[in-house]
Amino acid sequence: MMENLVYIALFAPLVSSLFSALFGMSKRQTFVGVIASTLLFISFLASATLASHIVSTGTPIHVTMMDWISAGDLSIPFGFLVDQVSVTMMTVVTLVSTVVHIYSIGYMDHDKSFNRFFSYLSAFVFSMMILVMSDNFAGLFIGWEGVGVCSWLLIGFWYHKADVSREENPSISPSWAANEAFIVNRIADLGMLVGLFILYWNTGSLQYDVVFETLPSLSGSVLNAAAIFLFIGAMGKSAQFPLHTWLTDAMEGPTPVSALIHAATMVTAGVFLVIRANPLFGMEEVAGVSYFIAALGTFVAFFAASMALVNRDLKRIIAFSTLSQLGYMFAAAGLGAYWIALFHLAAHAFFKALLFLGAGNVMHAMHDELDIFKMGGLKKVMRPTYIYMGLASLALAGIPFFAGFFSKDAIIETAWNEGTLVLWAILVITAGMTAFYSFRQVFLTFEGDERYKAFDIHPHEMYKFVLIAMSPLALLAVVAGFGMGSFEHFVTTLLPEYHMSEHTHHIAWLLGLVVLVVAVGGIAYAYKKYAKGLKRDEALENSFIYQLLANQYYIPQFYEAFITKPYAMLSEILWKEVDMKIVDATVDGIAKLLYKSGDGARRMQSGNLSNYLNWMAVGAVLLLLVAAFSAMLG
Amino acid sequence: MDNILSILVFFPAIAGLLGFIVDKESARVYGITVAAIEFLLSIWLWVSFDASNAGMQFVEMIPLIPDFGVSYYLGVDGISLFILIMAALMTLIGMISMSITENIKNMIITLLFLEMTMMGVFVALDAIIFYLFWELSLVPMLYIIGAWGGNLRIYASVKFFLYTFAGSLIMLVGMLFVAYIYHNLTGVWSFAITDWYALVLPVEYQLWLFGAFFFGFAIKVPMFPFHTWLPYAHGQAPTIGSVILAAVLLKMGTYGFVRFSLPMFPDASVMMITPIAVISIIMIIYTAMVAYAQKDIKQVIAYSSVSHMGIIMLGIFAMNAEGISGSVFQMLSHGIVSGALFMLVGMIYDRRHTKMLDEFGGLAAVMPKYAVIFGIMLMASVGLPLTIGFVGEFLVLLGFYQISPVMTLLAGTSIIIGAIYMLTIYKRTFFGPVTNEANKVLKDLTPTETWSLIPLVAIVIWLGVYPKPVLEPIDNSVKAMLEFMDEKAITKEAKELIIVAKSNQGGA
Amino acid sequence: MIGLSHYLIVSALIFSIGLVGVLRRRNLLMLFFATEVMLNAVNIAFAAISHYYNDLTGQMFAFFIIAIAASEVAVGLGILIVLYKKHGTLDLDDLAKMRG
Repeated sequence: MMENLVYIALFAPLVSSLFSALFGMSKRQTFVGVIASTLLFISFLASATLASHIVSTGTPIHVTMMDWISAGDLSIPFGFLVDQVSVTMMTVVTLVSTVVHIYSIGYMDHDKSFNRFFSYLSAFVFSMMILVMSDNFAGLFIGWEGVGVCSWLLIGFWYHKADVSREENPSISPSWAANEAFIVNRIADLGMLVGLFILYWNTGSLQYDVVFETLPSLSGSVLNAAAIFLFIGAMGKSAQFPLHTWLTDAMEGPTPVSALIHAATMVTAGVFLVIRANPLFGMEEVAGVSYFIAALGTFVAFFAASMALVNRDLKRIIAFSTLSQLGYMFAAAGLGAYWIALFHLAAHAFFKALLFLGAGNVMHAMHDELDIFKMGGLKKVMRPTYIYMGLASLALAGIPFFAGFFSKDAIIETAWNEGTLVLWAILVITAGMTAFYSFRQVFLTFEGDERYKAFDIHPHEMYKFVLIAMSPLALLAVVAGFGMGSFEHFVTTLLPEYHMSEHTHHIAWLLGLVVLVVAVGGIAYAYKKYAKGLKRDEALENSFIYQLLANQYYIPQFYEAFITKPYAMLSEILWKEVDMKIVDATVDGIAKLLYKSGDGARRMQSGNLSNYLNWMAVGAVLLLLVAAFSAMLG
Repeated sequence: MDNILSILVFFPAIAGLLGFIVDKESARVYGITVAAIEFLLSIWLWVSFDASNAGMQFVEMIPLIPDFGVSYYLGVDGISLFILIMAALMTLIGMISMSITENIKNMIITLLFLEMTMMGVFVALDAIIFYLFWELSLVPMLYIIGAWGGNLRIYASVKFFLYTFAGSLIMLVGMLFVAYIYHNLTGVWSFAITDWYALVLPVEYQLWLFGAFFFGFAIKVPMFPFHTWLPYAHGQAPTIGSVILAAVLLKMGTYGFVRFSLPMFPDASVMMITPIAVISIIMIIYTAMVAYAQKDIKQVIAYSSVSHMGIIMLGIFAMNAEGISGSVFQMLSHGIVSGALFMLVGMIYDRRHTKMLDEFGGLAAVMPKYAVIFGIMLMASVGLPLTIGFVGEFLVLLGFYQISPVMTLLAGTSIIIGAIYMLTIYKRTFFGPVTNEANKVLKDLTPTETWSLIPLVAIVIWLGVYPKPVLEPIDNSVKAMLEFMDEKAITKEAKELIIVAKSNQGGA
Repeated sequence: MIGLSHYLIVSALIFSIGLVGVLRRRNLLMLFFATEVMLNAVNIAFAAISHYYNDLTGQMFAFFIIAIAASEVAVGLGILIVLYKKHGTLDLDDLAKMRG
């Protein structure tokens, strides 16, 4: 019975994708969206039932469908494991996906590729389910690459747009952004593959249980290498520095895609990997790697938040905030608080998806205008959206009793508890920045003067069914935090427990207060600066720091100048100079030499008997000489 | 049907001869029918193949020149079986999708002769018979490129012929020398490969002979720096020529390494791992970069073939069952995927009479079906899991990791740079606005074109999701070969490096 | 005393004269004579060596060569006459039809 539920949860999205694909090339059909959403909902129901089953029994469900690859001693099955960690992910993924599917029926209403969109979106959910449900690393890799491809398809969904200059659009074009995302992820995937190879040759298997059982018998260097390479894989999917540029460019995709893939689910796959492989990352021998993960996570949290401070693009701000929150998750996971990371992952999925969908409503209202400097005062026409985005921002900022408060606070507390005070301080500052930029965006969009009127835009609220569909996310963004205690109890049967020390426990309220003060300070500053309307400060906007942040530290330009262009130039040189002028020219040279020698020898054939006789004499003399020499040499 | 292999080899040839009396209008249908029967025969071979038997099956042996030990000796095992089926399949599909109308009768007859030589190479167990088919395969291809090719067709075909021919001659010298040694040691002449396997040669001899065979195979593969004939041949050949060349003829080289070099010269093979791996890595990275710089879609695919053949070569020298089985599987995968890609390029060439990337853009909007199939093949080509391309590439890299982690990392960059050139051509061809007026009126795939591609798409996905029916027989034969190599190896290094799968130790 | 070496030297000298004739002459008739001279140089060597070893085989060969040379001249001169009749010259520089 439960086994069937596993298959239903997994394959309903695939059925949805294939069904929608049948209509992929025909004209828009609303029922395609409805059926896809229904199938996703079925998948959600199955996941939720499985979750309640696991909660009540506590025993994971393990099914093996069939063999996939077996060669030599390697044997990889299609096996699926539903345990505390994966069932959490399954429920979160299917819930957000269902909402996003319903949302898309409204959002993609006027798009002629409506059916195709649902096909891609469901395919993504299927890949994501494989990723989280697989019982082995190779299966994880299937999902890993699968979500990559779906992300490629969806970022480049509006493929017909032309490339423009970076000044005009920092992501150049949807198809450019899609390729960037795929290729950057591939770089990380190579790391991940190598990690798999290390594990296979040292443990003889890729099954989680076998690998994790064998880990303690391995040498420190092997463990470290495996951890490093697996984390490189995680860095790509979760867009950690220096592989982060693709995530903001990915905002070229339709907004539901950004909500589902580039906020709630796919980008958290890296965090999921670290959590899943906690028996490896939690080992004494790899403490260095884990600390690096925490440090990098903290750095990215701050780094991304800093870029969000000055950005004017509605979606990019949220993308930077996603990046920043992923940093928080890695910080928690790196410090050993795996269940907190997982909890923040789930809470973040809810409020970030809500935030993105809200942004989608705004885009829909503003005819795809994304510049928040051109918005303002939208609360009059879009009150429900305002409330949704406000709630989500409160949750993101970590205001008490919203979801983000519990999870983020726990992460910051962990940093204090581990004695990594530098990390703690950065995370606290980042919390303030987070509060500032989220409310800067909310105020600039919804409060103040109605700047959009100058651009002749007539905003209107989103369809009602869409707003209703968003409500579960809003609800969860508000209340999810209260489930923290029972969630801890639930997942720590599988994940290592993490307890604050006595000392930390005592001053927890003080630590929480510090964070809260910083966060409220951020909101207050944003309110003071932006709630009454936009006053632009030319001097500030032209300052070096502002420009540095607005241009993403010039990292995309750096990549273009030092990686993309040299690669293209080198390729050109290799082809025209090396391949054509050296390798091929050598081959042709040998052929020409033979040809020339034949051409030269042809002149002996003069037709003149006298010449022939001369050559004959020369030959005879040569033969005599050869004979004489060989006789002499004996 | 005891003589199934002989039938497989000579049925297309006899049908080809009869083809001369077939009417010109019905030549195409005739060819397709013959190729279809041939394909069904190959499927029949698979059905009656005993997957649990790792040795040679359906063996036929008729002495031809008993005084010199030359015999008509055929057999098939897990390694050759699927290459055989793929050759029959690609010939059939290539013929169905063929758009050539000029001299169609000659083309059909040529293709049928070509099919005979391909079948012959993969079932021959006698070196002379192998060599005979190996060289004969050049002639129809020379004719196909030279008669139906582009502007530089004569240059390209002569280059193809002479280059590969020169390599094969060195291989022939090697073969004669092996036979001579065999005669010296046993007092009888024999050209049977299975007899040669039993020879335990001193390491020095092995190295020289490995070198001689290497030239023959390496030029065919083609390995860097012997690869430059390939872009010309592909660039000038008609679509059907490119399809067969990429899908089947290149596999002869890698098959040769598996069939001859590894089991006959295990010690030399182990000693040559590093040089070959270095060449393979150069092939993988260098040609992938060259592919990125190309302006012509077909040239991109041609260079990408070289890059993928690098992966196959690397796997062969992984010296473990994972790597070699993966490599053989990758041969099939590359055959199907690159064949399909060449067909796709041919279809757009038929419409626009150009293959230049600059001429295209935004085709996804005009030709959605074409874009979808191209996209699937692209993803298979870059090794996406659950497509055929992943299985082989994954196994090869996994296998080679055992030899050298650093080299595996370098070779693994193929998954990155492969994605770079493939996605770039896809973006330039299919994405963006339709800028060229001529592209706005392009027709999407015709039913014939669609139905010739759909079987390939189905195989790409089927073997990506469930490769077991194919991988298992391959793996059995590879395991048996490795065990044999391990027993035969005389140097300590070779014994250490050749890994016999645990599941096979002591067994078989 | 005239020894074997003297004969051989004479033979070599005559052979060289013939060889120079073959190399330098342009007229077919003259070439013909030059080859005859070379043949006879060889005959001298044969006869001398035969005498030296007391073995008649060499002298026998000399007779053979004379006989063959005679028949060769007969056939060769015939061809020359035909050539002359056809081309009106026996100069080799003008008879270069086989030019490659």
